[in-house]
Amino acid sequence: MPMRDAVAETLQEEEAEINLTPMLDVVFIMLIFFIVTAVFVREPGIQVNRPEAVTAMIPNSGSIFIAVNAANEFWIDQRSVDLAGLGPVIERLRAQNPEGGVVIQADNEAQNEFVLAAMDAAKEAGITEVTLAAVVP
Amino acid sequence: MRKHIANIKIDEEENEINLTPMLDVVFIMLIFFIVTASFLRESGLDTNRPDADQPQVLQDEEGAILVIIDGTDDIWIDNRIVDPRAVRANIERLHAEDPERPVVVQAASTSRAETLVTVMDASRQADIYNISIASGN
Repeated sequence: MPMRDAVAETLQEEEAEINLTPMLDVVFIMLIFFIVTAVFVREPGIQVNRPEAVTAMIPNSGSIFIAVNAANEFWIDQRSVDLAGLGPVIERLRAQNPEGGVVIQADNEAQNEFVLAAMDAAKEAGITEVTLAAVVP
Repeated sequence: MRKHIANIKIDEEENEINLTPMLDVVFIMLIFFIVTASFLRESGLDTNRPDADQPQVLQDEEGAILVIIDGTDDIWIDNRIVDPRAVRANIERLHAEDPERPVVVQAASTSRAETLVTVMDASRQADIYNISIASGN
């Protein structure tokens, strides 16, 4: 009887080595998922006071963010640009991520002239999905 | 000859690759991508900005509900100044008269973005999602 126990113990010890291959498969698949879904969003670099809107909803895509602050300055990709420089920056960001739409973050106090100019710049770059940022109160 | 065979046997035993270092690297990459995955969600309102060189807006104005925001942020509907809180009721009334009419917002260049979003929000609350933004004077 004790002999049998000893044999059983040896067998168990041999089986204690875990087969890592299935875990490795899962980890690889997760890795690929996160690499593929990683969207490196370029934030404009400033915080604005967004207007409130009850019907605001989350757009399907938005990866190019343009902020218009209270002093009517354009901020995109962590830099302040003037209206003439907005188009090239949008086109560069669009080349990096062709599927993304444009989100315009306009401050409460921003003048509509500049908000509409940002929309026109996005349109000229060929982006039809333009969203005006707003928060649900 | 004996020695030779023994060598080959040892080689074959070493052929099993040790996966642990690769697993370490894969895990670190996985953690990196999970951490940097920015699920940045910005809520907002979809916009529809007609081309500036198309006379589409002027044609639409015949049939559209025209909301004018003047330079002092007053909202005009049907040649009357409307309180921002009453915009929704006014648009709803005009929408009930003719449900097909889209909304055209004409924003003066010096008006504030908050007013534009207020009007767009009111129109969406009145179930009109076809909102065009035109620039006024």
